[in-house]
Amino acid sequence: MWKDMEECQNKLSLIGTETLTDSNAQLSLLIMQVKCLTAELSQWQKKTPEIIPLTEDVLITLGKEEFQKLRQDLEMVLSTMESKNEKLKEDLERIFNELKTKMLNVKEYKEKLLSTLGKFLEDHFPVPDRSVKKKKKNIQESTVQLITLHEMLEILINRLFDVPHDPYVKISDSFWPPYVELLLRNGIALRHPEDPTRIRLEAFHQ
Amino acid sequence: MSVLRPLDKLPGLNTATILLVGTEDALLQQLADSMLKEDCASELKVHLAKSLPLPSSVNRPRIDLIVFVVNLHSKYSLQNTEESLRHVDASFFLGKVCFLATGAGRESHCSIHRHTVVKLAHTYQSPLLYCDLEVEGFRATMAQRLVRVLQICAGHVPGVSALNLLSLLRSSEGPSLEDL
Repeated sequence: MWKDMEECQNKLSLIGTETLTDSNAQLSLLIMQVKCLTAELSQWQKKTPEIIPLTEDVLITLGKEEFQKLRQDLEMVLSTMESKNEKLKEDLERIFNELKTKMLNVKEYKEKLLSTLGKFLEDHFPVPDRSVKKKKKNIQESTVQLITLHEMLEILINRLFDVPHDPYVKISDSFWPPYVELLLRNGIALRHPEDPTRIRLEAFHQ
Repeated sequence: MSVLRPLDKLPGLNTATILLVGTEDALLQQLADSMLKEDCASELKVHLAKSLPLPSSVNRPRIDLIVFVVNLHSKYSLQNTEESLRHVDASFFLGKVCFLATGAGRESHCSIHRHTVVKLAHTYQSPLLYCDLEVEGFRATMAQRLVRVLQICAGHVPGVSALNLLSLLRSSEGPSLEDL
């Protein structure tokens, strides 16, 4: 083939050169283009496209190639999905563990707070000694055991969270009145708007 | 030889050579660099020239595509191009010549009217491309385009000849009737 090219090259070098001026450029170029395009067209028409005969062997090979390609694509998809799954599992693990530690921390903090509260109340708000008997007017000695301020607060808190739509607790005899007064005066507890014998804890968390 | 001929030498194996002709050295250099960065199956060779005729002392490969870079800001650039065109063989214009107009972005600096370049391209029946070679992004895109055109002109794309490409790129817009 290279020899043919060299022959053509030699022939071409014999053809002279031709330059263009503005005036004759367009027309001569268009004429040249017509000539060349016709030549190319005839070349294309002479060529007949080679058709691969679709015999069995050819079909089988082509089919195999197709399947190979398909398999490779599917394998790629599979591996990407698997890696995605892995990542998701790891993320899930990680987040779950984080939440667990958070929970533990919060619980620990809660315990600490409760115990501090208990100690504080015990120190500063002890249960009064009911061994002093009441005098004349109060014949009936109240034998009700008084509960600590801590227990009172617990009752109020539990009621608030158990029955949020009716957080009121009836003031029982086991509540020491001065402590009830203390809670009401400082805004920790509130009276029922219609019933003076019932109180509720103020909703500090809302 | 004072006139450039398209088929004066045998082509190099898998090589494609482009010649950029223009007065703006810096722009040509940048365009050449962008083109060489492009991914291309064939080996690219870029030659730069201020004007034609080229010095015959240099041993250069067969040129597959000539791009005349016209700077719309300078009348000298247009003049230079017109003079260089006289040294190009007629058979080059069958798809192996292309005009590139740069600087159209800054209207205020343009001293050449767009119609002048359009008329020039129309006279020589060659495609006219617009690109602001100073802008990096446009330059990269234009480099890509030129590499594709170069590959076709060098015959590296089976089934498409330079002349076919020319017919495809022929724009329906010629110079308006007032100018003719």
